[in-house]
Amino acid sequence: MIWFRRVLLAVLATALSTHATYADDATLSFVRRHCVECHGDKKQAGGVRLDGLTGDMSNDGPRWMTAAEQVRRGLMPPEDAKQPSATAKTEFVNSVRHELAVRTQRKPNLGNLVAHELLFEKAAASNAQATEATAPRLWRLSPDAYSAWVNDVACGTPKGVVQPFSAGAERGVQDFAQLARVDEPAAEILLRNALTIVKQQTRHDIVDGKVQAKNDTVREFTDLMSPTAMPTREQLLKALSKQFRLALGREPDEADVAHLLKFYERCASGGDRPGAVTTMLTAVLLRSDVIFRSEFGGPDGMLTPREVANAISVTLCNRRDEALRKAVDLGQLVTREQIAEHVRRILDDPKIAKPRLLGFFRDYFEYHKAVEVFKDEPKDLWHRPDQAVRDTDRLVLHLIAEDEDLFRRMLTTPLAFANVKMSIDKATRKEVMKRSLIPNAHNQRGKSVPEELYGLKEWTDQQPFAQPANTRLGLLMQPSWLIAWSENFHTDIVRRGRFIRERLLGGTVPDLPIGVAAMVPNDRTHTLRERVSSVTRAESCWKCHQHMDDLGLPFENFDHYGRLLDQDWVLDAEATAKNVDYKGKPKGDVLRGVPLDTAGLISGTDDPKLDGPLKDPREFVTRLANSDRCRQVWIRHIFRYYLGRNETLADAPSLQAADRAYVGSNRSYKALLVSLLTSDSFLKRGPQR
Amino acid sequence: MIGKLTRRTALKGLSLGAGASLLQPLLAQIVAQAADGAAPKQRFVFVLQSNGINPNHIIPVGETLRKSNDPFPNSETIELSLADRELPDPIAPLSPFKKQMVLLQGLSGCMAEGGTGGHSTNHGALGCYPGSAGPMAQTIDCALGEAVPGIIRHVGLGVLEKKDQTLNYLLSCSGPGKAQPLQCAPEQAFRSLFSSVIGGNDRSAFEQKTSLLDFMTEDLRRARGALVGGERQKLDEYLAALETLHRRQGAIDAIKPSLIKAVPKLDEQFAKPTEVNRLQAQFEIATASIISGLTHSVTIASGGGHQNYLAFPDIGIPIGGHGIGHGETVDGLTTEQLFIKTRKFHCELIARMAAKLAEIREGNGTLLDHTLIVYLSDSGEAHHPNLRVWPVVLIGGMGGKLKLDGRYVQLPHYGVKQHRTLANLYLTLLSAAGQPRDKFGIPDNGLRDIDQSGDIRELRA
Repeated sequence: MIWFRRVLLAVLATALSTHATYADDATLSFVRRHCVECHGDKKQAGGVRLDGLTGDMSNDGPRWMTAAEQVRRGLMPPEDAKQPSATAKTEFVNSVRHELAVRTQRKPNLGNLVAHELLFEKAAASNAQATEATAPRLWRLSPDAYSAWVNDVACGTPKGVVQPFSAGAERGVQDFAQLARVDEPAAEILLRNALTIVKQQTRHDIVDGKVQAKNDTVREFTDLMSPTAMPTREQLLKALSKQFRLALGREPDEADVAHLLKFYERCASGGDRPGAVTTMLTAVLLRSDVIFRSEFGGPDGMLTPREVANAISVTLCNRRDEALRKAVDLGQLVTREQIAEHVRRILDDPKIAKPRLLGFFRDYFEYHKAVEVFKDEPKDLWHRPDQAVRDTDRLVLHLIAEDEDLFRRMLTTPLAFANVKMSIDKATRKEVMKRSLIPNAHNQRGKSVPEELYGLKEWTDQQPFAQPANTRLGLLMQPSWLIAWSENFHTDIVRRGRFIRERLLGGTVPDLPIGVAAMVPNDRTHTLRERVSSVTRAESCWKCHQHMDDLGLPFENFDHYGRLLDQDWVLDAEATAKNVDYKGKPKGDVLRGVPLDTAGLISGTDDPKLDGPLKDPREFVTRLANSDRCRQVWIRHIFRYYLGRNETLADAPSLQAADRAYVGSNRSYKALLVSLLTSDSFLKRGPQR
Repeated sequence: MIGKLTRRTALKGLSLGAGASLLQPLLAQIVAQAADGAAPKQRFVFVLQSNGINPNHIIPVGETLRKSNDPFPNSETIELSLADRELPDPIAPLSPFKKQMVLLQGLSGCMAEGGTGGHSTNHGALGCYPGSAGPMAQTIDCALGEAVPGIIRHVGLGVLEKKDQTLNYLLSCSGPGKAQPLQCAPEQAFRSLFSSVIGGNDRSAFEQKTSLLDFMTEDLRRARGALVGGERQKLDEYLAALETLHRRQGAIDAIKPSLIKAVPKLDEQFAKPTEVNRLQAQFEIATASIISGLTHSVTIASGGGHQNYLAFPDIGIPIGGHGIGHGETVDGLTTEQLFIKTRKFHCELIARMAAKLAEIREGNGTLLDHTLIVYLSDSGEAHHPNLRVWPVVLIGGMGGKLKLDGRYVQLPHYGVKQHRTLANLYLTLLSAAGQPRDKFGIPDNGLRDIDQSGDIRELRA
């Protein structure tokens, strides 16, 4: 493939100088000449139609990528069709890949449309200097960041304050700068919340004509609540200053003061001065720069120190960091070294809560969605997906804290936590580990308890512990992940396969074509492997399913509750028919065991170390964990999470530097994050587009 | 009385007088809707009463469709006309509306169980998902409020045991993670909804909101000046949202005459806020909100969510619903008699609301012809429900889009192929409101072999 990459990069270098934003005529013409006859209005071979492709790849990216991949792999045009020259094919593939690589794809799950080798080839990194830098942007607070902000401003969450923002509907990374918007219901809630917060800040009684402030209020505000006293300008300035510091972490400038005092005067014209004060204070909480974090950059193209402080704080902690604010005031957040020092300080300080560290792993693996998959509780298992999620959270936090070879360990660690909760010992004031769920002799009689899922016969406080050999390794075999990636009634081979293809192999899978009813046959006399294969191996389906099914099959080593299997189970129709009571009423299904098949296959990665058959999930995750490509794909996802956008070719140097920092620091996750948060991609802004 | 005022007349006058260009689009829409020949909007009122609705409470007098508390045996739909049948004692107050009613029996809602100690299904009752899942998706009251938007999309009202519990976040939801509050302090709800017309401090609150919207709009306009392209678009969307809210304030101000006519007199209830008075006040506020055109979707919850139950000492029910649910008795009344007395009181309030709506002419009929009242419990059929039967009473109309013609409809029992769930009822309502969907909530695992999609044929007009 070296020749291919050389040709690709040569063409790319030429193409870069043109700064084309759309597919050029030659690219469109290639589709018309070689694709549309079989994929047009008269005929749609394999259900694929390409005649409507426009040159704008930001809309048609997935279809363009599919077409280019088919040509690159030599699968299209078919053998019996008129063949374009090898040069024409290469130019077509390169042109499509280049276009997809220089434009940011809006949706989180389209990030992989940027071909992996373009980002991680050394030559690609140097060529990338010529492409566009990150554009200036606004980034609305995430739901978690909004909650943290309310907590800081109101000294707790006042009763009546509710979340205005929904988590994104997309799979994977939820908080993308391009997608976060404020709609009408959210605007209404923001307004209502702001009024509630100020009401909390100014709670008071009037006793004998005097204001008596209540607990958890702000003195500078309650001083202005007297219905008879006229607030002085100094008092109003003091109140404004306090509210600005609480809401925005800065002092108001002259324009802010003038604007808000004018607003106060207008509101006070009716005579209700305390009312006017609360309205003015509420207005501060409703400013656009409270809801949207701005990253415009200064005259030198770098984020301003205040923007850096905001970005680093929210990126790691969801809330403002006081030391960063002070560093801005002292002019100590200017150089990359100073910024790196603060990132390291935050990462190293256990007292600073960093929910976004765990947050990435939740978005990436989505194991926390186990609680959303509703299942009937079996007779022999105490099914508690909430505890499974908590146990995985703890394992992730443990691996992050140890900070050794995190990528490999998250896939292959034999360690686990089982049925654990942490609480404070009253005598020693130290955190101690306790058994979280304790079975009730009546309700859980005859059911296996959560720790048994991990192979523990008796609960222990010596955790994490090593799970028995040949059972589970890493996060992909944690019960939480297995449940999250299952259906209500069975496992989910296809979606699990898609997870591996997209999140670890860096590939793409087209979305389900409109009009296709994806139904797994309900004939439970066959294993799920057989039932899925019976429909997805059809020629028209296999074009896409070949990228997924074989990657999901090894996880059939576990049932959909996350239990390890030593054999598979199918419905015994004959025995079920005979299983009736004395009145002939059915007594329920009878299952019979059949040999377990956990074989799978990795294909289509162009990496001989990765491609090949697999015998079980343990071999599978070990192979993934040892792959440079998989590690780099993981870093691409980290980039998306912390920068809130998809990577483009311009980010190749930042991504490569992050990978080098990780590998070169005994595979330290902290080193990776320091590199990423001090990269040009994070700190530099180009012109607006 | 506001019975003689037609919405068309009031709003026509308004559109000529209130010339503010900002209000024109919304006013035009409201006036067009009220004009002769135009189809009036549909309205929805969901009444949730905690502690379950005993299926026997909605079976017409003299019918033996069920042996005691056994499961319903029918595997085919049973339909009975109410014309020549009497309503049972618990719902007898609804008799004047027999011709505009369906007593719907046999729906299940097992997908909503879990997590609340076997009591309420919380958001699951209106959302068709587990009660333990929190506000995981939009509930039907908010979905219909969005499908047929009024000036305010959804008004939530409730009563909780303690007077200082002012908000109930356990039943309505406007989107994933967004619990929609039910205002449980009637006086506060009253002031918030009618602040534009009741003067004093409340008018100030209304004006404060308008001022803040002015400020936010101005602030956004300044901020967006420095931006171009996609980033500017983000602020434009926020700005558009604020302008809609601003227009709403204007629209509320513009329907001042209807509001003044509709605003209820509730001094007595506010002076003595007992459970009975609070619930009465909430029904009055809901009725006024519908009549004045403030909203097209209201939820009223009597208790509801987790273990929220009410006692009604004013009408001789001094013990709370939880005690009644566990068999407590009082003053010589059996548990069942207490249940019936409570039910009758709620039905009287519903009947009073329906009567008021029936007095107002709209289009070729009355406001009730275009208002669907859905009466159900957030805990299905019992204090500790199994949710295989979830009785529902439907009263009113959806402008002819739903067959509400005086019937008792008993659908096939749980597990039978033609069985229908609460989700099918909600899909029927969405479809009749012009917003058909393929599914609502999550499917019931116990019905995996049954098609759980689609509407309820027996309710189709």
